Amino acid sequence: MSLQVQNLKRQFVAPDGSSVPVIDIPTLALGDNQQVALTGTSGLGKTTLLHLLAGILTPDSGSIVYELGGRSTDIARLPEPQRDVFRGRHIGYVFQTHHLLPAFTALENVLLGMSFGGRHDRAWATHLLERVGLGERLGFKPAKLSVGQQQRVAVARALANRPAVVLADEPTGALDSANAQAVLALIRDLCTEVRATLLLVTHDKNLAAQLPQSLDLAQVNRISRAPSAAAPVGGTVR
Amino acid sequence: MNLFQLILKQMRQRALSSWLTILSVLLGVGLAVAVLICRHEGATLFGQTDYGYEILVGAKGSPLQLTLNTVYNIDRSPGNIPYTLYEKLLHDPLYRPLVRLAVPTAVGDSYRGRRLVATTPAMFNIGTDGQPVPENKRFEYRPGRSYQMAAGQVFDADKFEAVIGSDITRLTGLKLGDQFQATHGFPLPGEVPDIHKPKWTVVGVLASTHTSADGVIYISLPSFYCIAEHGTGLVAQEAIREGKNIKEVAAQVKAEEHQAATVPGTTKPAGDDDDEPDHYTVDAAGKINLTLPKEVWGLSAILVKARAPSTIETLMYDINNGRDAQANNPAKVMREFFTTFLDSTTQVLLLISLLVTVVAAVSILVSIYNSVAARQREIAIYRALGATRRRILTLICLEAGMIGLLGGICGLLAGHLIGAAGSSYLEATIGESIHWAVVQPEELAYLGGVVLIAVLAGLVPALKAYGTPVAENLVAQ
Repeated sequence: MSLQVQNLKRQFVAPDGSSVPVIDIPTLALGDNQQVALTGTSGLGKTTLLHLLAGILTPDSGSIVYELGGRSTDIARLPEPQRDVFRGRHIGYVFQTHHLLPAFTALENVLLGMSFGGRHDRAWATHLLERVGLGERLGFKPAKLSVGQQQRVAVARALANRPAVVLADEPTGALDSANAQAVLALIRDLCTEVRATLLLVTHDKNLAAQLPQSLDLAQVNRISRAPSAAAPVGGTVR
Repeated sequence: MNLFQLILKQMRQRALSSWLTILSVLLGVGLAVAVLICRHEGATLFGQTDYGYEILVGAKGSPLQLTLNTVYNIDRSPGNIPYTLYEKLLHDPLYRPLVRLAVPTAVGDSYRGRRLVATTPAMFNIGTDGQPVPENKRFEYRPGRSYQMAAGQVFDADKFEAVIGSDITRLTGLKLGDQFQATHGFPLPGEVPDIHKPKWTVVGVLASTHTSADGVIYISLPSFYCIAEHGTGLVAQEAIREGKNIKEVAAQVKAEEHQAATVPGTTKPAGDDDDEPDHYTVDAAGKINLTLPKEVWGLSAILVKARAPSTIETLMYDINNGRDAQANNPAKVMREFFTTFLDSTTQVLLLISLLVTVVAAVSILVSIYNSVAARQREIAIYRALGATRRRILTLICLEAGMIGLLGGICGLLAGHLIGAAGSSYLEATIGESIHWAVVQPEELAYLGGVVLIAVLAGLVPALKAYGTPVAENLVAQ
């Protein structure tokens, strides 16, 4: 799997009606099985970028091309229904807050992640939960789990469809240091296990340092730079 | 996790709201189904086309009252007709070629709230000679269905004997071999009953017919006229009809009774009351010797089977043109009754229940709309996990449809339970039951319509869910 972003632009409309550019990335590339930390201070558009890469948001211009099994798919140009299906099948997403469904058990939350991707593999879902240390809590609802355990379920859900790429948005942001380390290790291990590329957004430089590669959003997003310094930029992975 | 499991999850997530909405659908559908059963079974019960006899002859007045009183054993008798008319129907050269058989009935008394019907053994296909009647003279209460004895025998035409309907033992405790006394009319609760002196012995029990006959006690006509008040009343009625002096006629009857009482081998009934003149004596064999002349005997109705279909109208025309009685086709009367009253009433009820169903559909709409408003984040998560807008739309619409289906099925059951209760009530009051357990095709069509309306009601909240912005709801906390 590879991901190639070209001239990606996105702006929002402010309450006063004016346009506020948020993303302007000339180029960004991720290779097969890479594990990359995307760092940057708050407000740089990290979450917006992940939403764009996941097809949750559409760019105003530019392309987001996934190369999967020799086939290129520009999800920026896909009609919405196909984009949703593509996301369900090939992209795993870990939210900053777990976003588990409170009425569903841990196992059901993972199965739900599968169902929209068109799969149903109870054994794999159980295996994932066992891998994140929740084999004894398959039938527990989120309210009965600790915050760290909830985030582990969210990690398992993101990996449920054996995605080609995992986009993790501050997955350890709500966790203490020990839990953060544990969850990060789980994400990395599971991504390695399913051979998924990982793009992990974090503002924690120590955490980012644990990943083999990192990327500073401030270096790739023109919007984060001063207007006078609008020189061409490119995404470089350390 | 399939779509069905997801829907059930959603419903369980807001169980109270879901159950209340299902209840509202249940009420609407239950009411509508009960009305549909009432309409269908009412048409079957009252709108049947054949009674086994074509003509009811009775006192001039309401044809409906005559039919309800004679066929369904409810309502009051519209009055009396002379017994001589019955004899005319059988023997008069004008009527005889038109009449295959005629069975007289007289009503007015009861036993423990159950009606006494005085008639001849011909109703049970026993001739005047005590032998079964020939095939072409058999009386049928419905086409091809005659009264059958479950136990005992048909009463003797001239004795104080009775045949009871199949439900009488359960309703009154009377059984084969028991004796009973009749009560005048149907006393209201708290009213002192006027109990007649004669005692009848139960000699036969009818097999169940699932008609009002199951709750009736049959006695012979002569024994009915032995009731003192009946004799006096009939004499008075005859005097009024003929323009005679009532006192003179009464004195004449008394003289005849005295003469009859002095006939060797006969006795006056025990416990006789001198204040009320008796019109009969009983011989050693228990045979009644009725002194009341046949000219004053009265009947409540005569059930007539015409010799041929072509003679029905002629016969009714002739009787209706006379002074004494009216003649009507009970099937036609009941069809008219059903069409003009029951049919239109059930149509109004059906309209009301349809409105209730629409209200229930609106409650589905409101309930799910509110839930969608409260589940924006949940829907956004579904979308982020790969659910398409169309999938979300389907999910919400199917949830509405599921509520409609569950409420509809429960309503169908409730409607049939109402039908069962109605059937029990009808059986207790008129002895007729309805087929409450049978699900008619229109009920299934209605259920399908309810589910469709529910799905359509779900479309509004589904469109709201369809338009849920994903990113905003994922970020907003």
